[in-house]
Amino acid sequence: MLNRAIVEGTALTVLALSVLCLWLRERQKARPESDGGYTTREEIGFEIGRLQSELSRWLTTTDHRDIGLLYIAFGTAAGLWGGVDAMMLRTELLTPPADIWTPETYNALFTTHGLTMLIFFVLPVFFGIGNYVLPLLIGADDMAFPRVNAIGFWLLPPALILVRMGLMLQVLGQVLNLVLPADAIRFFLTMREVSVGWTLYAPLSVQQPNPQIDLLLLGLHLSGIATTVGAINFITTIAYERGEGVSWANLDIFSWNMLVTSGIALFAFPLLGSALVMLLLDRNLGTAFFATEGGGAILWQHLFWFWGHPEVYILFLPATGLMSLILPKFVGRKLFGYQYIVYSTLGLGVLSFGVWAHHMFTTSADPRVKLSFMAVSIAIAVPSAIKVFNWITTMWEGDIRLTAPFILCAGGIGTFIIGGVTGVFLAVIPVDILYHGTYYVVGHFHLIVVGIIPFLMIAASYYWYPLITGRWYDTRMARFQALLIVFGSFVTFMTLLVIGGLGLPRRQAIYPPEYQFAQQIATVGGYVIGLSALLWLYNMLVSYWRGTPVTTTDPWGLKATNQFTREWQWFEQRMMDKYDMEPTEPETTRRSYAPEAEPAGLAGGVGTVAQTVSRNAWMAAAGGFVGTVLMSGGLITAILIGVLDPVSFGEIAELVGLPASPAIGAGLFLVGGTVTWPLLFLAFSDYLPGRLLFETGLVFATLISSGFAIAFYTGQSGLAFVGYLTFVLVSHWAYGIGLTVTFQYLKSDEVLQSRSDGGG
Amino acid sequence: MSDGADSFVFQYLAPFVGVLLIAVGIAGAVPGGYALIEPDLENCGNPTIGVEGPEETAERFGEDEPGPRLPQVAFEDLSSAEQTAFLTAVDDPVGEEQVVGSVPNADAFRRGAIVTYEGERYYVTLVAENTCFAAAPLQFPLGVFAIALGFLGVLAPPLYRRLVRLEQRAGRSE
Repeated sequence: MLNRAIVEGTALTVLALSVLCLWLRERQKARPESDGGYTTREEIGFEIGRLQSELSRWLTTTDHRDIGLLYIAFGTAAGLWGGVDAMMLRTELLTPPADIWTPETYNALFTTHGLTMLIFFVLPVFFGIGNYVLPLLIGADDMAFPRVNAIGFWLLPPALILVRMGLMLQVLGQVLNLVLPADAIRFFLTMREVSVGWTLYAPLSVQQPNPQIDLLLLGLHLSGIATTVGAINFITTIAYERGEGVSWANLDIFSWNMLVTSGIALFAFPLLGSALVMLLLDRNLGTAFFATEGGGAILWQHLFWFWGHPEVYILFLPATGLMSLILPKFVGRKLFGYQYIVYSTLGLGVLSFGVWAHHMFTTSADPRVKLSFMAVSIAIAVPSAIKVFNWITTMWEGDIRLTAPFILCAGGIGTFIIGGVTGVFLAVIPVDILYHGTYYVVGHFHLIVVGIIPFLMIAASYYWYPLITGRWYDTRMARFQALLIVFGSFVTFMTLLVIGGLGLPRRQAIYPPEYQFAQQIATVGGYVIGLSALLWLYNMLVSYWRGTPVTTTDPWGLKATNQFTREWQWFEQRMMDKYDMEPTEPETTRRSYAPEAEPAGLAGGVGTVAQTVSRNAWMAAAGGFVGTVLMSGGLITAILIGVLDPVSFGEIAELVGLPASPAIGAGLFLVGGTVTWPLLFLAFSDYLPGRLLFETGLVFATLISSGFAIAFYTGQSGLAFVGYLTFVLVSHWAYGIGLTVTFQYLKSDEVLQSRSDGGG
Repeated sequence: MSDGADSFVFQYLAPFVGVLLIAVGIAGAVPGGYALIEPDLENCGNPTIGVEGPEETAERFGEDEPGPRLPQVAFEDLSSAEQTAFLTAVDDPVGEEQVVGSVPNADAFRRGAIVTYEGERYYVTLVAENTCFAAAPLQFPLGVFAIALGFLGVLAPPLYRRLVRLEQRAGRSE
């Protein structure tokens, strides 16, 4: 079995180093434009003094915007860590047996994935967004208790380290073991990641000897303290720090959601702390809170879920707040039913404390008690549905702008509807008894925790990127990334719903072989989500240095629809003070929506053979040669890995009456690629689709690849056949690109030459 | 950063297919590559045996002889690899050890066998097969190829914009 500590440690190190290198490289490259258009950030030297002052500033800052950014950076790092866990456990599920990680490692992976994502990724990111924009939205100077705010953040890194220390100690132990004997570092070799499931159910969590569990409990307790002080700060800020003209009646919807979220956290997290202390005492001092002879193992479930289910809404409500704030901006209409959305938020806040036992429908609790929880669990769908209907109504007949934030909002509504409706099924006891502990549950809650929650985080990051950095992100990459993450989430979690519906139990490294194909689809979808997260990260980091500077005080054109909210008014004031900018008027057209330049067409291009052969033949031949060489690279690779038989080249020689030698065949192949096919291309290019020549080249290459595929087929089957077809197609594409790009390159040189001759 | 031409195929479809290819490629290359290097990384293909001491064996079968259906093997008849693993497992607190080398008595252990050692009877079973991870030989190269091709797809938008500029330079505009 693979060594989990080494693999994950290496993956995380590579990720961290890549981010650092990318950041430094982009900063290095940031130079003023040669046309003198604008000044970029000044290049910062690596002086020790400068680093010291930066470090002490970030370590001691009490400014809400700085702390917001710290929260977001921390949450992102934790999210990537938890994401690596997810990628590893999905890799295990590619095959039915536990043959990549051991079952024990798999258990540890889903335990740490859950804890890291829920407690160290989602909450810090939302507290970060809240910290940055909430005071701006309500017109406050800062949070009510700036220093408590800083403490609230700085408790989190040690909490994360305590919770995830198992991995660090495993890695350290294995590194030390290279130079030290095992007996001297026995402690490091016995510590390992916790593997009892993120819900830490007793009696397993009481009885398992792994000392890392105690550190994890302490870390969770610390994070609970951090969350509680953060929640107190938000509540006080919204209650007492509102600016002129901000009343409860016109408080923005995101602040309402943060208020209710903080209220839930204030009541839920202290309870988690108490339960964790009891578990610690049971483990270390022999108390019997959760022992069968004492309080009983079910008591842990009650206490845990009395925090755990409100926690779900702590994670979910800020996302709905962001949706209600961001969605109207991109459909040109105000939020429909603001008042009802506020009521639904308050309703969710209250009801979230009344549904915890729906996680325990298969325990021995009294059926009449369970029935009441079933009723409340079904009822909690009502406020959620109010939100959904209001969002859809907000979009109704709106002027929709297909930006990345909008795509994420729309995708988030979609995933939330499916995630929510499957939740209604699970709220019904008879259905839950069937589906409890299956992948159906995993699919249900992931459609929400990977659907609407991170979607809206990313949407917020795009929406406020100009406000935070003064630059635009790469909008096209962002749109692509948004589509990708929506697609990946749907593929992965809909697949899990299906295999859960068929009854596959969750939390098991080993599964029956008939589920393998579905699990592979889910894994590929999971990888797509991971890759889209990396694309987002790349866009955020690179655009900070390379993005187009914002040259308007109203980047999203919100004045036109009367949605120029307070945070943007603050931004406008800052742009006026800093750059002496004029306030932008609604008629202004923003650059990111300017119609893009029309590419050059093919007309007037290569022409017929008769007209162009003298001028173009040698260019085409050069292109054909380059293309054939590129193509040969692909074909040689195909021969090396055994999906293409070189004997088939001998048949070319036979065709022209020469001995059937592969070498002669390859020579003829090169000649044909250099002469025959380019001339054919020149003749037919006008009749093939493609606006640009290289597009036509790709079409041409695709067409002729079918002939090659038939002519060179030597009975490959299965994977070899797939590989053969793929290599044939890609090699031909390389030929088409090589042919046309070389041709155009030579032609552009010729054009420039003739222009300079004419002008000379 | 959003200059240049717009083409659905090269701006969205190519990178989308590229990401799918990367994802499928990872799913193929990681297990495929692991299958190739696993025998060098660790001792796979050899089972782990569990050995119960004389007391547990007596407790399990009583004082009577276990029935004729249980194979009886003398310690001297075990291969050297089996002997080494047996002795290590006897001293091991968990009582398990992987055999490193040939396991001629694997079938007997699979059913559960009594090994007689220094006059004492030990019940030996096979607790894990430790089969080597198997994958099609083409899985790794094709996976790597899919990842490389996928990267090309992801890089298609900037390459496309570059090509558009080249075409414009070549004076092929209408």
